[in-house]
Amino acid sequence: MSKRILPLVVALTVLVLVPALLQASGSGYLFRVSITAMIFAILAASLNFITGVAGLLSLGHAAFYGIGAYAAALLATQHGVPFLLTIPLAGVAAAIGGVLVALPTMRLVSIYFAVATLGTGEIIHGTLLNWVDFTRGPMGIPAIPSFKVFGLDLSGNLGSYLVVAVVMLASLWVLHRLTHSYYGNALRALREDDQCADSMGIDVVRLKGEVFAIACFFAGVAGALWAHTTGYISPNDFRFGESILVLAMIVVGGLGSLPGAVIGAVLLIVLPEALRPVGDVRMIVVGCVMFFSILLLPKGLFGEVSALNLVRSSFGGGWKAGSARQSIGWR
Amino acid sequence: MTLSKTIRGALAGVAVGAALSMAAVPALAQKTIALGYQAPLTGEMSQYGEVFRNSATMAVEQFNKSGKLPGATVVLKFEDSKNDAKEGVNIAKKFVDDPEIVGVLGDFSSTVSMAAAQVYAQAGLPQLSQTASHPDYVKISEWQFRNITTQAYEGPFVAKWALGEGKKKIAVIAIQNDWGQSVVSNFKDAVEKGGGQVTSVEFYNPGNRDFRTILTKVAREKPDAIYLGMFDEDGASLLQQRRQLNVQIPTYATSSLYSPKLITLAGPSSDGLKLSTTFASDSPEPVVKAYVDEYQARYKAVPTMFAAQAYDATNIMLAAIAKVGPTVDRKSLRDALAQTAGFPGVTGETTFDPQTREPTKTLARMEIKGGQFALVK
Repeated sequence: MSKRILPLVVALTVLVLVPALLQASGSGYLFRVSITAMIFAILAASLNFITGVAGLLSLGHAAFYGIGAYAAALLATQHGVPFLLTIPLAGVAAAIGGVLVALPTMRLVSIYFAVATLGTGEIIHGTLLNWVDFTRGPMGIPAIPSFKVFGLDLSGNLGSYLVVAVVMLASLWVLHRLTHSYYGNALRALREDDQCADSMGIDVVRLKGEVFAIACFFAGVAGALWAHTTGYISPNDFRFGESILVLAMIVVGGLGSLPGAVIGAVLLIVLPEALRPVGDVRMIVVGCVMFFSILLLPKGLFGEVSALNLVRSSFGGGWKAGSARQSIGWR
Repeated sequence: MTLSKTIRGALAGVAVGAALSMAAVPALAQKTIALGYQAPLTGEMSQYGEVFRNSATMAVEQFNKSGKLPGATVVLKFEDSKNDAKEGVNIAKKFVDDPEIVGVLGDFSSTVSMAAAQVYAQAGLPQLSQTASHPDYVKISEWQFRNITTQAYEGPFVAKWALGEGKKKIAVIAIQNDWGQSVVSNFKDAVEKGGGQVTSVEFYNPGNRDFRTILTKVAREKPDAIYLGMFDEDGASLLQQRRQLNVQIPTYATSSLYSPKLITLAGPSSDGLKLSTTFASDSPEPVVKAYVDEYQARYKAVPTMFAAQAYDATNIMLAAIAKVGPTVDRKSLRDALAQTAGFPGVTGETTFDPQTREPTKTLARMEIKGGQFALVK
């Protein structure tokens, strides 16, 4: 029984406890910070799938986030598509972009792959900026409608929070099932030694393509949520700096650890806001927190091994076997 | 009976005492009216946020000393947006939550200002940006104002000046952002309307500092003049490279290049540059002189045009507050702002169009001569 309690606790916290507390505080600001943190939790979890689990260092993740945001914004403003459709379509658009990037870079490894993704990230940002006829270029896209469906207005603080929370939980659940399974094992094998994995019969090239498509899908979903909750986007929101921010989140949280990615995202979004009273030196404090967390906890705030053990024991991910009733393998 | 009478008497006494003390409190204590100011105080754009903070602090201190608003004190609440839309929106929500805040100044870039504007439009909080120049910014809602000459006004001004000096064929080089787009479209229309011709339009991506290719390409078409739409650091690089390539085509620019830093960075290669401006730190006008002197005494630097725009933006806001009085709220402040007409600021007289809320300002012509900005009479 106990193994099923933790997922329920997580869902109840995100969907009932936190919104109830936020509603009681009556603060639109706290709602907004929570929404941003959840959007970045999706982004960090999706980058963690590429970089943490499959071991492909990607420096262009913000570009796929941008493709998703632009797809949702253009569909909603120019064709009046409701958000229930724009969110998955934005994911699909970003996934297609991801596959197109993955195809030519498939044979590259380690730092060469990283530099290639850096280049493609810049290409996509440059396209958003300079393809003025289609994206409106630097003018950005204003007046993106908020969450409204079937006459139901979800554009308020609580409504927006719940939409983003539900999408985040669904995204995390899918990534959790993919990471914590034999499929996840194959990805970890790819990360540790791709030639060895290849010789064991794992189709390395196909796997890399799939990883990119899946992760970019969720980055696109995060982009759509950003576009709908903010109402105005421009290419400036999807620069290289955002890619690095998301990368920092997963490293601080723990590479390869899904709960770590979420913790890292929440930390790096909430900390700069919480430090506002400190004044101009707040970003220096944020830098110090990152520096010391890497120095003292190089495996991250919630490392991969702890994450896998937690999922096996408390999320019913593994089989119980042996006299010690240890959790092994994956269900 | 007597007991209850005594209690009643005592209660009445307490009530009277409370009423008296409550009446006394407002007479003694000053009401606090707050203005939010969101600007990049850290990060790569922090030099702009810094001068905004200097100017705004100065304006509010002068206003509180002046006694234009008896019974209330105005305070500024600064928040750092790092020029990041994520943070800009967070700040907007924070300001909306704060019941003391009746109006907001900022942000710096159009991107962040417009993302935050969505929040202010929904919540009904007047926002006055000193620099947001995006053509759609004031169209977001009736709550958005700005204190910057838009290119719809500046483009034709420089075009008329250049055409008047016999420059018929003009090439344009501009930064690839929302503002650069409006620089090009407004200038091009004005030149063509005035009988001239725009030979080529070159956009460069933000962050680019190598203009040699663009300059060579432009020079090959032999235009009579080049028009620049860019900021000081880019402008300085371009002017230096223009000199290295020995391109001697007369050059005009937007007011955004009016900054002492341009001359420091570009050195002698900036000589002869002609630009329009709303603010001249060496202007003999008493209001400008008083501002420049006090700014220099306080912060040991000559105020830039952006500093002056922030100073005027803050003062326009304060004038609107003074007009309504200490009972000012968000709605009445908006209405008072919309009526701003002929405001005598350091960046020229400012009037907000009552319908479109677009500002009009008087522009001046400047030329760099011997390492100094000089007014062209």
